[in-house]
Amino acid sequence: MGKKKRGHPDIEELLARPWCYYCERDFEDLKLLISHQKAKHFKCERCGKRLNTAGARTIANVIFIGLSVHMNQVHKENLTSVENALANRQGLDIEIFGMEGVPEDIIQQHNQRIIQNFYTAQAERQAATGNPPRGLSGGQGPTKKIKIETPEEIKKRLAEHRAKVAAQKEAIANGTPLPVVAPANGPSPSQVASPFPPPQPGFPYPAGAPAYPPVAYPPGAAPGAFGSLPARPPSGGPIPSALPQRPSYPYPGGVAPPGFPGASPVDESAANAGRAPGGDDIDQLIRMAEAGIKPAKNGDEQPAPTEKKKKGMRMVYDDTEVSPEEKMALLPRYRWVEEAAA
Amino acid sequence: MAPSTQFELPQPPTDAVSSLVFSPDSSHRLLVSSWDKHVYLYQLTEGEGDNANLLNKYEHRAPVLDVCFGDASNNEAYTAGMDRQVKKIDLTSGEQTVLSKHSEPVRCVVYSSAHNLLVSASWDNTLHVHKLSDPGSDPLVIPLPGKPHALSSSPTKLVVAMTARLVHIYDLPTLAAATSPPAPWQTRESSLKFLTRAVACMPNDAGYATSSIEGRVAVEWFEDTLESQARKYAFKCHRQAAPEEEGGGDIVYPVNALAFHPVYGTFASGGGDGTVALWDAEAKRRMRQYQKFPEAVASLGFSGDGKYLAIGVCPGFETGMEDYTGQGRTRVFVRELGETEAKGKGTK
Repeated sequence: MGKKKRGHPDIEELLARPWCYYCERDFEDLKLLISHQKAKHFKCERCGKRLNTAGARTIANVIFIGLSVHMNQVHKENLTSVENALANRQGLDIEIFGMEGVPEDIIQQHNQRIIQNFYTAQAERQAATGNPPRGLSGGQGPTKKIKIETPEEIKKRLAEHRAKVAAQKEAIANGTPLPVVAPANGPSPSQVASPFPPPQPGFPYPAGAPAYPPVAYPPGAAPGAFGSLPARPPSGGPIPSALPQRPSYPYPGGVAPPGFPGASPVDESAANAGRAPGGDDIDQLIRMAEAGIKPAKNGDEQPAPTEKKKKGMRMVYDDTEVSPEEKMALLPRYRWVEEAAA
Repeated sequence: MAPSTQFELPQPPTDAVSSLVFSPDSSHRLLVSSWDKHVYLYQLTEGEGDNANLLNKYEHRAPVLDVCFGDASNNEAYTAGMDRQVKKIDLTSGEQTVLSKHSEPVRCVVYSSAHNLLVSASWDNTLHVHKLSDPGSDPLVIPLPGKPHALSSSPTKLVVAMTARLVHIYDLPTLAAATSPPAPWQTRESSLKFLTRAVACMPNDAGYATSSIEGRVAVEWFEDTLESQARKYAFKCHRQAAPEEEGGGDIVYPVNALAFHPVYGTFASGGGDGTVALWDAEAKRRMRQYQKFPEAVASLGFSGDGKYLAIGVCPGFETGMEDYTGQGRTRVFVRELGETEAKGKGTK
């Protein structure tokens, strides 16, 4: 719906919106609703004529010829159901014109649904933004969830910071020039403000961005693991061991896709540390820095998202060399043997 | 969808449909080739209560993989057989003549009335071009770099889609004049990443559409200029969201059939998901999607005057099948189109 008004309408506005009995879509005004019904539900398939209603209806002493009458008279056909309607609303027994004719119980149901959606959406918004409900001015509303930094998060930030400094030190020791974007000391201001790395420009964050997963860290990142952090634990398995725990959205924790322009190598490293702040990662990271092969790490990471993508898609027929007909031709049922002809 | 606009043919083939085609004139005759070794000829009868009759059926030695109408005045048809033969069938008498033999099953046949040519494509990686004006002559054999899977002709072009995503376009007048195998007019790589499933040429000779086993359709133009080539596009279709408990994602069906509307230039696609959609190639929009058919859509054909769309449905062959039969589940539907049903918005 092309709603121009920004912000969120209140419940009265929502309930006042006219809506379509057949498909439950709502509209700015009655005129739009009626033209929607004419185009979607009362349009004649055979000649494209747009009728006003399904059967026939008298409104203010004017008889509106409906689609079924039209079909009957013009095309000699019987209309059995309303097109594009929800499964239980296809019937012709109820005569609808705009909002007229909608049974009372259906109206009630609709209103219930609107009210419920409204409150759920409101609650979600409040939880996400920390804004007080409309009309209340003070900070009396629920506090922002994001602002709270748990001990784990603080520790995690520390780990992140350490990782970065360590990486930079190594880089300097090796004489690798630092990328200009990365400040020589400490995390960037935005990283101070939030325990989560900021979204990169054009980064494919999920639509419900405020809903950062509260626990996106693998079990290895439990508080206990942090106690042993100051010294880097001996590196265990390589990165892939941490992969199965990834949340399902792409590039968790701000790991940019390979070749992504906005991501400098050091930022990536920091982001990686943020995702799984175990010793393994840091170790790995440093070894990377030593070797000066940052892009290779990207290569390692890449298979995970693509594999996921492939898994999500199942092809009913997936042989890219041999056609279904060729396979059928080999079945005993269809096979042709030249000798048989003789 | 008013149910009265669609009906089912009586006495459908007893096994999977390989191809169906309407006569190019407006006589509303329909040929259906089947894996049950027969070709069926139906006649639609107009008037109250749309209906159709089985006029005749023509037995073959092996499954028939493709069929097309030939010269209208002679009431002929041509068939592509699993038994490696290309045959001419006299639809009145039922008399069958072998035109040529390939060394592997014949996948497709295409007839061009303007050039009086019959072209057959076989899994032996050749095209046979038959000059029908000279019936006794041997066909011109054109070697292909891959196995052909789909063949379609426009008024002046012939498009052959092969394995390894190869597409060759031949110029029909050149083919008609050639005495030795000519080079293709153009060679292209398919715009689709996966195995090509179907090809259909635009009736206005401007371009063609291809489809693949991976729920996708591409539309391209013949003209080899940068502007024309920039216009080509591809889109996803014939997919279904998998239920969450199975891991979500999409189930992707092959797009088995494509057919252009002879009058409006819009086209229909039919997929393994059992749906048929109408597309406006110019406006790049889907115009309609019809209710699901009980089985996969195997073949589609518009009647010569564009009033009817025939839809052959049978179980789709899926990866991992060791046994397949279309027995008892093969049906042919005919949809009578409304006057503007297949008319694109951009072509008013």
